[in-house]
Amino acid sequence: MIIAASVAVLVTGGVYLLLQRSMVRVIFGLALLSHAANLILLLAGVSAWRGEPLPDRVDPAVATDPLPHAFVLTAIVIAFAVTVLMLGMAVIGHNDDTKRMPATGEERAT
Amino acid sequence: MTASLLPLLLAVPLLAAGLLVVARHRVVQRVLLLAVPAASLAFAVVLLQLHRDEPVLAHQVGAFAPGVAIPFVSDTLSALMIAVTSLATLGAIWFLSVTGEDRYRFVPPLVLMLHGGVNGAFLTGDLFNLFVMVEVMLLPSYALIAVTGTWRRLGIGRTFVVVNLLTSAILLTGVGLVYAVAGSVNLAVLSDAASEQPELALATAVVLLALSVKGAVVPVHGWLPQTYPATSAGVMALFSALHTKVALYAVYRVYSTLFDGPAPWAPVLVLLVVATLAVGAWSTFGEHVMRRALAWQMVAGVGHILVGVALFTVASLGAGLFYMVHHIVTMSALLLLAGAIEQVYGTGRYERLSGLMQRDRAVAVLMALGLFSLIGIPASSGFVGKVAVVSSAAGAASWQGWLLLTMVLLASVASLLAMQRLWVGVFWGPPLAAYRPDSPETGRARLTTVPEDVRIPVRLWAPGATLVGVQLLMFLGAGPLMAITARAAQGLVDTAPYVEAVLP
Repeated sequence: MIIAASVAVLVTGGVYLLLQRSMVRVIFGLALLSHAANLILLLAGVSAWRGEPLPDRVDPAVATDPLPHAFVLTAIVIAFAVTVLMLGMAVIGHNDDTKRMPATGEERAT
Repeated sequence: MTASLLPLLLAVPLLAAGLLVVARHRVVQRVLLLAVPAASLAFAVVLLQLHRDEPVLAHQVGAFAPGVAIPFVSDTLSALMIAVTSLATLGAIWFLSVTGEDRYRFVPPLVLMLHGGVNGAFLTGDLFNLFVMVEVMLLPSYALIAVTGTWRRLGIGRTFVVVNLLTSAILLTGVGLVYAVAGSVNLAVLSDAASEQPELALATAVVLLALSVKGAVVPVHGWLPQTYPATSAGVMALFSALHTKVALYAVYRVYSTLFDGPAPWAPVLVLLVVATLAVGAWSTFGEHVMRRALAWQMVAGVGHILVGVALFTVASLGAGLFYMVHHIVTMSALLLLAGAIEQVYGTGRYERLSGLMQRDRAVAVLMALGLFSLIGIPASSGFVGKVAVVSSAAGAASWQGWLLLTMVLLASVASLLAMQRLWVGVFWGPPLAAYRPDSPETGRARLTTVPEDVRIPVRLWAPGATLVGVQLLMFLGAGPLMAITARAAQGLVDTAPYVEAVLP
């Protein structure tokens, strides 16, 4: 239940930030949304009431499914890479608030 | 034996991409850039031959037990898609090397990484792995969309990244839900399961929603006509052949594997396809730039392709797949020809171009052949594709069939009228007097008088001409190609051989 509530909070915040004008806020919004997706993946392994998936400590019958953990790890790596790339874009693009292009001598497309 | 070679279709492009980051000699770059997709094409043709006798080849990566391992599966559909996308990739690479865009830093490795991700997405038999492959394909695209360009392209790149990342989050959620309900993301294990379990049908719908955003189905198509025309023509040809088509392939694969027959919400899909056809064809009227008009035609093409899934009969799936093959080749050809015109005359706007028919006869003829194919006028692969789609819709003999049939015909008329505007604007009228050349510093400069002897050089229109030729060959060889797409459709409807090969 608490994970489900966290997903709801993360999605709410993510959508709010995604609709903002600034690229950095959009990036934060996407990060929140990908965290929400990761939590949903974790939920698929029923981590709520099961033990950690270590064969020498926990009986496999009551251990959580380790596969979603692997999914989440993969998803985190991908989300991390894309976040770095987007932060790069946020730095080199134009200013979001004033919409002022950097002075490159480029004419506006007409 | 052959099955264990399947991961090479992913591994070789990725390794070559890594190598090209280090090996920066121009000859090495160009040779590898052409050799790797050519090798994929050759391998895919061999696979197509093999699949005549053995419909499905599966390899369990890492030799884990079947059901646990990530399977790489090749059937007629995968092999066909790899062959066609490799061909279109080769055409786009040829154009990129003529315009010199492949000499930008990192463009060759990015293109090869894109190619590897596309091959992986076609081969994988695992939903989560599909998500990973789609990301492998998208990451280089984020860079490619902006690498050749100006500040404006960087801004467009943002839209592209944000839309795709949001969609990836939805896709990931869908995959998580599928795993939560079914306990597996292996397509063979999930085969026909969604028809029995309503929860799984819902989870699958989330996956399909994400795939339809990536495939640009109306009403989630808005990003495509916004972003694609802003990149360079070569990159747009690459994207149009690969991105949306991978998503559409995944829709075909996921929908037909998980559902045993039409989904409970199939009528909704029919209405979405009708809307896609209508919006794509009509919106073309509003555009005054060649590649923007073609981008809307891509949306209309998505509608034609999805008629197959919406009706879900063997005939309609085969027709939809044939249309997909035709659309990849024809759209690439048109984009490369439009790119050649832009490269020489500096613009793709109708009002800035005129009278190219007298100046560049060859390009005009090729463009006409390409547009014939796009609209479906005889002596083109588009004609065969549209006839197949329409006759399969008529054969379905249901209200869905008649609705789709009517809309395909109306959309064809609308596309014909809209493309006539392109033709009148660009090829008719008085000879072109002034143009805006590319300035080396900024990409744009003042209007300049066109000298009498300026022509589009042969090397610029040769890639597009080759693809127009391929399209004509597809018209002449429609029989054998139809047989292949019919076999692919059979494999989608009857998933037993697929399941048997993956889970022996």
